Amino acid sequence: MSDEMTDEQKEAFVAKLRREVGSTGTPTVARDPVNQPMIRHWCDAMEDANPLYTDPGAASQGPHGEVAAPPAMLNAWTMIGLVPRINDPKDPASGVYAMLDEAGYVGVVATNSEHVYHRYLKLGDHLTGTVKLVDVSEEKQTALGIGHFVTTETEYLDQNGGHVGSMFFRILKFRPGTGRTASSGDDTANERPPRPRPSRNQDTDFFWQGSRVGELRIQKCLNCGYLQHPPGTRCPACGSTDMGYVVASGKGTLYSYVVSHHPRVPSFDYPLNIGLVELEEGVRLVTNITDCDADQLKVGMPLQAWHMQTHEDVSIPVFRPARAPRNPSTLTFDEVSVGDELPLCPIPLTPTLIVSTAIASRDYQDVHHDRDMALKKGSEDIFMNILTSSGLSARYISDWAGPDAVFKNLKIRLGAPNYPYDCMTMSGSVTAKRESDGEDIVEVSFRGQNSRGPHVTGTVELALARK
Amino acid sequence: MSLNYAYHSAIAGIGATPFTKDSGRTPMDQAVEACLAACEDAGLPPEKINGMVTYSAEQNPEIEVARNLGIDELTHFSMVHHGGGAACGVVAVACQAIYSGAADYVLCYRAFNERSWHRFGAGVQDRPAGAEASEVSFSWSSPFGLVTPASWVAMFATRYMHEYGATTEDFGRVSVVDRDFAATNPYAHFFQRPITLEDHQNSRWIVEPLRLLDCCQETDGAQALLVTTAERAKDLKQKPAVIASAAQGVAEDQHMMRSYYRETITGIPEMGLCARQLYQSSGLSADDIQTAIIYDHFTPLVLPQLEEFGFCERGEAKDFIRDGHLGRDGRLPINTNGGQLGEAYIHGLNGIAEGVRQIRGTSVNQIDNVENVLATAGTAVPTSALILSQPR
Repeated sequence: MSDEMTDEQKEAFVAKLRREVGSTGTPTVARDPVNQPMIRHWCDAMEDANPLYTDPGAASQGPHGEVAAPPAMLNAWTMIGLVPRINDPKDPASGVYAMLDEAGYVGVVATNSEHVYHRYLKLGDHLTGTVKLVDVSEEKQTALGIGHFVTTETEYLDQNGGHVGSMFFRILKFRPGTGRTASSGDDTANERPPRPRPSRNQDTDFFWQGSRVGELRIQKCLNCGYLQHPPGTRCPACGSTDMGYVVASGKGTLYSYVVSHHPRVPSFDYPLNIGLVELEEGVRLVTNITDCDADQLKVGMPLQAWHMQTHEDVSIPVFRPARAPRNPSTLTFDEVSVGDELPLCPIPLTPTLIVSTAIASRDYQDVHHDRDMALKKGSEDIFMNILTSSGLSARYISDWAGPDAVFKNLKIRLGAPNYPYDCMTMSGSVTAKRESDGEDIVEVSFRGQNSRGPHVTGTVELALARK
Repeated sequence: MSLNYAYHSAIAGIGATPFTKDSGRTPMDQAVEACLAACEDAGLPPEKINGMVTYSAEQNPEIEVARNLGIDELTHFSMVHHGGGAACGVVAVACQAIYSGAADYVLCYRAFNERSWHRFGAGVQDRPAGAEASEVSFSWSSPFGLVTPASWVAMFATRYMHEYGATTEDFGRVSVVDRDFAATNPYAHFFQRPITLEDHQNSRWIVEPLRLLDCCQETDGAQALLVTTAERAKDLKQKPAVIASAAQGVAEDQHMMRSYYRETITGIPEMGLCARQLYQSSGLSADDIQTAIIYDHFTPLVLPQLEEFGFCERGEAKDFIRDGHLGRDGRLPINTNGGQLGEAYIHGLNGIAEGVRQIRGTSVNQIDNVENVLATAGTAVPTSALILSQPR
C-alpha cells in the first residue's frame, strides 16, 4: 500500500507507472459494426428521441441522409464488454491500471471525456480504436481518495482507415476510504429532524392521502365543478357541501417564490426555495421547488410535481423544473445568440436509469450496476458511468437545438457522482458563435447539477444551418 | 357601513415605556407603566377608565392590567383578532364602545418582550400539529419551510416586483426613509444611526427578496392609548387627536398572512376596504392627508398600501417612492417616528402615538400644517386603519 511507501518508493512507483507514457496499445476492433439494435437500446436508455438515430424515413431527410449513430456513442462501440476478449499484457493503459489495482488503488472513476467527431457513424461502419497512454499523475489527495489520474487518448478509424473521431479520457484510480469526505457523508442529514408534520382533519385528509400515493388532489365541488385550494367545507361558488377532488396533472408554473435564508429551521436545507405554484387546473399552492438553484428560479417557469416522503406515513407534493419538450425543428445559426439560455431539464436518477444506461453503453464495470461491489470499492452506491453523462448531455443539447444540429465535439468533466434517487438538473447557455472551416458553429456550455453539486460540466460545439 | 362614530372620539392620552432589546422586566409591568403614562398624559385618574381593548398575541389580560391600575369596574373589554392587523382595530372598537355608550374612557395597549423572551420573527416553526382549523391552515405552508412572517410577506413581494417592475432598491428606499426619521428621534432604537441605500443593498438576505434592513425590529416594550369622546377630551390636558374615522377590513378569500389564492396578489384588498370606509365616513381623501404612519413590519407591503389609499396609481408606488415623496420634504412623509424599522415594533401602536404627536404638533420630526394623519395596521392579515384630525 502506498501509505506505507517511503517518498523514494513512491517516486519509483510513479516512474514505473510512467514508463509506458507515449506508447500505444493494440488496436481494438469493435465486436460488431455500428448497428440499429445497439443504437435503439442506447436511445431507449438515454430517452433520446432524435428520429435521425432510429427512423430511416426521417433520417433520409436529415443532414446525414441515412440513419446515424448518436455521436456520444463513439467509445461504446469498442468497449470490451462483459467478457473481455482482448487481454493484451503489453497494453500500456491496462498495464498501468493493473499496477494500480495491485498497489491498492482499486477504486475507479472517470473524470474527463472529450470527444471530437470528424463524421457521424452510419450503420455498417466498423470501428477500430487505438489507445495511447498520455499521462499518469503524481499521487493526489482528492475528495474521493488518494490516487493517480491516468490520461489516455484514443483514435477511432473506420473500416477504410479513415479517421472518424477521437477521445481524450481521464480516470482516477484511488484507494477506497482515503477520501476527504470519507467519514462525514450524510451524517448530518440523518440527524436532521423531520419537517413540520402537516396538521390534518376530516376536511383535508383526502389531500394527504393522495400525496402518500403519488396523487396531487385538488378539492372539487361535485355540484358545480369549482376547484379550490386550500380545501374548505362548502363550495364558495354554489354553496354545495358535496365536495370531492380531482387528481391534478402535476403540471404548473411558478407564480411567485421566495428563497429562505434565515432563521434556519433544522429540518430544512438552506437556502430553501419555496414557491407558489399555479397548477394548469387553475389553483395555486405553496410548495418547494427542488432540483433547481435559487438563481434559476423565474416567475412563469414550467414545473412538474413529485412527492417527497417526509415521515413514515407522510409525503408532500413538491415541484421541480419541468422537462422541456424536444424541439422537433432545428434552430438555425441566425436564431441563436450568445447568452441564450437553454431551458432547465431535470433528470431523475432512478436505479433503472443508471443500470440501463451503463449496459446500453456497454460499460459493465460493477460499480455501475452492483451495489455491493460499489460499496466495497469505496462508493456510497452504484453511480452513473461517464458515457451516460456524455449521452445525457448530448440528449439535452440536441433536444434544445433540434435533430439536425451536428455535434462537432463534446467535452465533459465530472464532479459529484450521480447516485440513485437523486436528480440531476441540466442547464446551459450559448457561449460563442463562429465560422470555422466553412461551418457555422455554436458553442454551448452546460452543467448538470445534483444535490451534492455539479455532476457534469462541459462544452459542446454544434454546426447549425444558416437561414 | 356608515361608521356613525366618525369624528365622535379622540385619542386623549398616549404613554409608552422605553423601547429596548432586553427590558429586564415583565411585559405586565411594562403594560401597567404604559397605561399609567397614557392616563397621566391625559391628566385622567386611572380609576376613571371603564373600557379596555387589546389585540391578539397580547399575553397580559386586561383584568390583570386593570387590577394593577386600581380600576374597579370595566363595562367594555374586548380582544381584537389578528395581531398587528388590529393596531387600528383596537381604536375602532374603542370608538364603537364609546359611541354606543358602553364605555367612557377606553385604554388600548400592547406590551411584550418580543425580543428578550421570545423571537417574534422565528414564526410558527414550533407550532404543534393539531386538527383545529387554525392549526390545519399552517399545513399548506409549514411543511415546506414557509414558517416566518418575513417569508410570508416575501411571497407577495416577488410577485409584486414581477408585475410592476419594482426592485429591492425600492424596498430599500422605504427603509432609508424610516431610518432617517429614526436618526433624529431620541426615543428610537436607531437614534443617530441613519442608513444609505447602499447599506440596505449590502445587508444580508433574510428571505429573498427581503434583506435584513427590510425587516422591522423585535422589541421589548409597551404602548398605550387613551380614547374618549372628542367632547370629553377637550376637558383633558392635551390637545385631542380626533379620530376622524377608524375601520377594519377582511376581503375575499382572506388567509392569515398567506392570501395567495386570490386572482391577484399584488394589492391588499382588505386595506382597500379600510380606505374606502375611512374616506367615505370622514369625507376626506388622499389629498387631505399630510403625513402617514404606513405599517412597515416589512418594507415591500408599504408600496401597495400607498396604492390602496390612492396616493398613487396601482403599480406606481415605486415611482412615487423614487421621487422622494416619503421623505422629510416629500408629498407624504411617512413614519416620522422612524417606523417599526427605526423606532420600535410595538405592533403598530407606537405609530398611532406618533400620529397623535403630529396632530398635537409635538413630534420630534414635526411636519408643517398637519390637518389629518393616516395610520395603517399590519398587512397581509385582516387589517385596519384610521385617520386622526385636528379638533374642530
